[in-house]
Amino acid sequence: MDFLLSYLVLAEIYVLLGLSTNLLVGIVGIFSVSQAAVFGVGAYIVAFFLMNTSVSFLPALAVAAICCVVLNIVVTLPSLRVSGDYFVVTSFGIQLLATAVFTNWTGGTGGANGLPGIPPPDVFGIQLASNAQLALLTSIMAGLGCIAFWLLMRAPFGRLLRAIREDELAVAAAGKNVLRAKVSAAALAGAFAGVSGGLYATFLSFIDPSSFDLDASILLLTMVVVGGARTLAGSILGPFVLLALPQLLSLVEIPTTIAAAARQLVYGLLLIVFMLFRPQGLLGEKL
Amino acid sequence: MSAPYLHVSGINKRFGGLQALNDCSFTIREGAITCLVGPNGAGKTTIFNAITGFLRPDSGQVEFRGRRISGLSPQTIVAAGIARSFQNLRLFAEISALDNVLVGMRGQFGEEPLSALFRPLKTAHAQAARRITGREILDQVGLLAQADTLVRNLSYGEQKLLTIARLLATKADLLLLDEPASGLSAGALAALMALLRRLQSAGKTLLVVEHNTRVVQQIADDVLFLHQGHLMAQGTPEAIMADPALAEIYFGGALQDHGP
Amino acid sequence: MVALQLFVNGIVTGCALGVVAISFSLIYSTLRIFHVAHAGIYTMGGYVAYSLVMHGVPDILALLLAMVAAAMAGAAIQVLLYQRLAARKGTHLVVLIASLGLLAVIQNLLAAIYSANILQFPGAWSGEIVNLGDGIRLTKVQFLTVIVCILAYIGMMLFAHRTLLGKRIRAVASNPFLAEITRLRPQAVYVYVIAIASAVVCLPGVLVPYDLGLQPYGGVTPLLTATIAMIAGGVGSITGAFLLSVAISVVQNLSLLVMPGEWSIGVTFFVFVIFMLFRPTGLFAAR
Ligand SMILES: Nc1ncnc2c1ncn2[C@@H]1O[C@H](COP(=O)(O)OP(=O)(O)OP(=O)(O)O)[C@@H](O)[C@H]1O
Ligand SMILES: [Mg+2]
Repeated sequence: MDFLLSYLVLAEIYVLLGLSTNLLVGIVGIFSVSQAAVFGVGAYIVAFFLMNTSVSFLPALAVAAICCVVLNIVVTLPSLRVSGDYFVVTSFGIQLLATAVFTNWTGGTGGANGLPGIPPPDVFGIQLASNAQLALLTSIMAGLGCIAFWLLMRAPFGRLLRAIREDELAVAAAGKNVLRAKVSAAALAGAFAGVSGGLYATFLSFIDPSSFDLDASILLLTMVVVGGARTLAGSILGPFVLLALPQLLSLVEIPTTIAAAARQLVYGLLLIVFMLFRPQGLLGEKL
Repeated sequence: MSAPYLHVSGINKRFGGLQALNDCSFTIREGAITCLVGPNGAGKTTIFNAITGFLRPDSGQVEFRGRRISGLSPQTIVAAGIARSFQNLRLFAEISALDNVLVGMRGQFGEEPLSALFRPLKTAHAQAARRITGREILDQVGLLAQADTLVRNLSYGEQKLLTIARLLATKADLLLLDEPASGLSAGALAALMALLRRLQSAGKTLLVVEHNTRVVQQIADDVLFLHQGHLMAQGTPEAIMADPALAEIYFGGALQDHGP
Repeated sequence: MVALQLFVNGIVTGCALGVVAISFSLIYSTLRIFHVAHAGIYTMGGYVAYSLVMHGVPDILALLLAMVAAAMAGAAIQVLLYQRLAARKGTHLVVLIASLGLLAVIQNLLAAIYSANILQFPGAWSGEIVNLGDGIRLTKVQFLTVIVCILAYIGMMLFAHRTLLGKRIRAVASNPFLAEITRLRPQAVYVYVIAIASAVVCLPGVLVPYDLGLQPYGGVTPLLTATIAMIAGGVGSITGAFLLSVAISVVQNLSLLVMPGEWSIGVTFFVFVIFMLFRPTGLFAAR
């Protein structure tokens, strides 16, 4: 029971993060391997406030979201100036740089040892300590995220982003400000990632750089690809499937020393197989 | 005398070793259908790009209704009232015909995230109104029945009409059409020419790149003849077609690629 | 004195990176694929050589066999993955994601087989010191790296400009469509290109770990640096890619005078951002 609850909480946190990635990669078509870095910044900021100040959870989450909005705009800006492939470089660079900061800025992030003992979230004065309470919180957050995504996608804004993905030049010819639309999408993706990072930090009560590295970004991309790009259903399904996968793998006899590598290997294989045979994922649209 | 409607003066553009536009100058009258002709590679698409802000010319300038527009961004130029189509269409293939038109409409509520998120009802309401306008535009070009069809499932002729519908959605007054008639069947061609005339009577000014001399003769009020990036001649269709030197340039270079 | 030693170290790493950059650039400017999995080939080459050396194969032979293996792996990637994706009209994003998936597969396969720990090549010769006077010292293998990589650079220049295949590759790179109709058979050229580039990248892929040890995830940072050098040097310019690799490495090494090594990725990235802002087409851009 408790196990199922924590699976639910974690999956819902990744749903929020998946929405963020789907917005950038699926909807706007920007290849990004740095979403885990933004996620991490959200997590560290919330952890900092809860551990070192008397600021309560929701304001901390808001600060994290705002910081991640700014960060994601800065991170995405190069893609607005330079063509697709150069952004791959930027994206890898940001991810590696973030990992370097998380690992080496010992004063702020606890370095490679991470930050233990992050207090559980408090909402309107109530400490949410049990998994059931946390599940309620993340369900509400993920629910709000899904509604927001749905509203955005059915509005003219969503249509504009889809059009940009297909042909930026034609959108400009139709008299639209491509830059502004992309910056907005990046900002939204940042807010989603920041909030899910904050939830992640308080739920696990311990964070370290390994949750926010390149591998994490690849996992995130796999969730979006497997669930299906550009649809709400796909963004919800992906995390639930991918987080169940390690449990399935644990049924196979794999030495614990290589379990992590085996897991990442499977993610890589999934990426290849889906790109070859089902680029629309399980419930999505064609990438 | 009032300023000309569109005035292009002394545009130069060089791509590496190739002078694509060479001191290119011309004017366009308001309310006329002007055809831009010239052999392949003459620089017709390039001058479109220069007028609409997609390409920064090395020198020269463009004035529209007496206002200098060279150097402005494409979206500002659309807002000023000039919209262009692309030779290779550049439609959004994965969304419906109606959605393609809606993308072209200006000033929509819910086009930035905050209004979409926090005013969902107003957004939906505004959308419903927009869809009606969008259908009207599709009706104008004869595509109403295909409104909800995905663009990739439309025929080539229908796609070409849709590019015009997307231009109309911008409400621009001057429409630059890059080879709207190429590749059309006889029936579709007739429908297109009728559409262009209707647009003219509705007050639009058209600048049309066209290879087919019969089409030029039927629709053009003025003809601009471009050769090697330079405006060789400007005049009525009859005058241009009658000039043996121009015919030599035109058919000497174009016959292999395009039929007469 | 320290500065001079760091400068020389920068030249060593720079030459090695230069070959990574050249090989990547060859693929990028011909296939137009941002072949992220190239980092995996680079790492794989080192591990193949390591295994052979551990089984008593002489060093030189191990290097050559690693190159052959990498060439075959590269050709297989083109035929089994990229060609199929192209046949299915996979978008640019789809190809990128598949390539990233492949990188994850290669890295984690290596980690599963060899463990994620750093492995050292046996053999005492490689650590012997060459004294360049003035107290500037290099190990023998570092010295060899510089010579081999400069030779590789010269070799690639001659290959591209003097051989028939090289000319064919440049023809395909400059206009794939024209090459198709003039029966230069781009598809075949692509296989050669990726095979050659994969073999060449094994030179630094084997020599650098001889000095610094092998790590399954060690290919990403060099590839990132190399792609930055390629872009800063001007895509398509072999000399540009090589010189900028050396320059970036030297700057990176000299930066050790003022900041710790963990941040060198930041330095690299800074170079990239500067170029993106001021000269996005690179220093030696064609035309
Ligand atoms: N971005 C570019 N870079 C380099 N050369 C270009 C570029 N755009 C156009 N050109 C060249 O400029 C010349 C003029 O091209 P343009 O497309 O304007 O011709 P066009 O008159 O539209 O021809 P067509 O009838 O074939 O459409 C051509 O030789 C073309 O190859
Ligand atoms: Mg043209």
